[in-house]
Amino acid sequence: MSPQTPQPMGYLCLVLHCHLPYVRHPEHEHFLEENWLFEAITDTYIPLLRVMNGLVRDGVDFRLTATLSPPLISMLRGPLLISRYERHLNRLIELASKEVHRTASQPEFHRLATMYLERFLQTRHAFTQEYGRDLVSAFGHIQDLGKLEIITCGATHGFLPLLNVVPSAVRAQVRVAVAHYEETFGRPPHGIWLPECGYYPGLDEVLRDAGLQFFFTESHGLLYADPRPRYGVHAPVFCPTGVAAFARDLDSSKQVWSAEEGYPGDPAYRDYYRDIGWDLDYDYIKPYIHVDGKRINTGIKYHRITGKTDQKQVYDRAWARARAADHAGNFMFNRERQVEWLAPAMDRPPIVVAPYDAELFGHWWFEGPEWLDFLFRKLHFDQQTVKPITPAEYLERHDVNQVCTPCGSSWGYKGYHEVWLNGGNDWIYRHLHTAARRMEELTRAFPQAEGMTRRALTQAGRELLLAQSSDWAFIMKTGTMVEYAVKRTKEHLTRFTSLYEQLRSGRIDAGFLKDIEEKDNLFPSLDYRNFS
Amino acid sequence: MTPELPDRYGRTELVLMVVDPSLLFAYWEVTSEGLREAQVALGAEMKGARAVLRFYDISLIHFDGTNAHHTFDIDIGLEGRNWYVHLWTAEKSYCADLGFVARTGRFHAITRSNIVHTPRAGVSARDEERWMRVRFVRRRKPDPARRLEFVLAPPFGGRLSPEELRALLERRLREQARLAAESAKGTSPGSLFQGSR
Repeated sequence: MSPQTPQPMGYLCLVLHCHLPYVRHPEHEHFLEENWLFEAITDTYIPLLRVMNGLVRDGVDFRLTATLSPPLISMLRGPLLISRYERHLNRLIELASKEVHRTASQPEFHRLATMYLERFLQTRHAFTQEYGRDLVSAFGHIQDLGKLEIITCGATHGFLPLLNVVPSAVRAQVRVAVAHYEETFGRPPHGIWLPECGYYPGLDEVLRDAGLQFFFTESHGLLYADPRPRYGVHAPVFCPTGVAAFARDLDSSKQVWSAEEGYPGDPAYRDYYRDIGWDLDYDYIKPYIHVDGKRINTGIKYHRITGKTDQKQVYDRAWARARAADHAGNFMFNRERQVEWLAPAMDRPPIVVAPYDAELFGHWWFEGPEWLDFLFRKLHFDQQTVKPITPAEYLERHDVNQVCTPCGSSWGYKGYHEVWLNGGNDWIYRHLHTAARRMEELTRAFPQAEGMTRRALTQAGRELLLAQSSDWAFIMKTGTMVEYAVKRTKEHLTRFTSLYEQLRSGRIDAGFLKDIEEKDNLFPSLDYRNFS
Repeated sequence: MTPELPDRYGRTELVLMVVDPSLLFAYWEVTSEGLREAQVALGAEMKGARAVLRFYDISLIHFDGTNAHHTFDIDIGLEGRNWYVHLWTAEKSYCADLGFVARTGRFHAITRSNIVHTPRAGVSARDEERWMRVRFVRRRKPDPARRLEFVLAPPFGGRLSPEELRALLERRLREQARLAAESAKGTSPGSLFQGSR
């Protein structure tokens, strides 16, 4: 938006939170949980990049804000996982080719099998040729064009309100993330996505000290802010530290999130759960499911949601695309009416903040990236009332804001900390806090370490950060893959404790250190003094 | 094979954590020295003494050990090592002692916890406004020590009177807060690794 552009009646700030926990197991040839990354690349990250590049190509002036969490960046830049992704994608292409043959006599399935084959071939071409196997730079390129604002996150997505028992743990999560962003993009991040939107009063001091200028909270983070914010969630506030807080708008969130009333539940859309990994003859599908023979999703799905029934109808691509266009139009219409309703009572254009987990788009909601594409095109060509904006642009245009302290909150079930602190996962905190305190103690004991001692301290920091991912507590709560989350938590804590004891006794086990440096290899240039 | 974590760290401590505006989680460890110390302090009174968490409401005060707004005890089994504590009011500050209450009523504390603040559970009652100008800085970090500039609040303008507009905005805020509380049942479909519906 140039300064000459007339001020619109209101703004739309779309935020996509891209994050996956660091899952990388060189010790196994195949590892099921690595598929999270592979599926997200195929279903979400590449489709989003293709949408954005298409908008740029067609001269559509759009704005998007996206987190790229440090673990995700590290995985997308890791040679082992990238080569495994290609292997995964090649298998998928092989399966889709077989499907094209198998369905030759069933036209409606054949069309879909052909669609998948073409799609996966395009994905491979985009990944290897257009993006040179480096999706992070592909996102960075769109940021350089001024269309995308990439923000950072906690170093390993630690849930900060519960790590705060040892304040140095929160500082380290933020400092390491900011340093990693600077290393990746060559400039500091303007803002941060607080993991799980987890905020507590005072956290903004840590953000200010790290040079961050804005963050996001759940709706009641601002609605319950103190004093009452005049404009609710439709304008940011400054925390007493001068860091700006933007809050999620309820209406726009619900239309997209909600499985029942939201767009993604439309009968025309592709059904996520009905996958040929479960449907087809075992001997036929066996080479493409888990190596131990367990059936899993392959990513090829032929049915539409249909309704609350097990009798799913065959997916109709044209119909689904038309619905995505309808829903984009509906979303835009609602934002226009919303802004027209809000604006007359405000001295500035209202901002509607609509954040989503990125993996909703394309992975769960297959048509999500197309919806986004339609939405930005319609916003650009069809109306003047609502303009997309990034938080940075908003704060440049509107540098006077109310001063409030947001309310402690998160975007999890019930809005506070219960998802990450309940009977299913509360046992982890005793260990996480002890390890964080010990890490701080180590930085005091070894203020200027070099050589092997420094390596051990750095690795201890990595193990602590990995144990702190909110993903583990989340998985323990939701009840699938619990064993893996428990194992990861215990492994990183045990490795940390071994290093702590070795550093304390002055006898570092070089072989052990080398082994875990290779296994848990994120943040290669981590500075252990960030834990002070 | 998944390694097992230590059962104890050999450090007497009590830690409080906030679950939500009306629920706290407490975990603790008491070493044998900590226990012995309590036995020495209470002497003969240790017989029949109850292990408790003694909570202090220290909202908006500098706690000196005696000036809490009120206190309450939760009986615990030392071996349980953690407990959820239900509260009546949101937006309070608490700390707690872990100790023994003798039959005589005498209390001996073994360790004191951290301080926690429970969040608000509704719209704030305060409406006095302060406004600030903060210049956004592109591509570099602002100085954390920079001075923050307070400015006059923008006027309430438009067709309505300032009072009417203020009242309208407050109604909208409260309506939004009501909707937010309703939808806090959970809105996110979760991440990639979430299980099936």
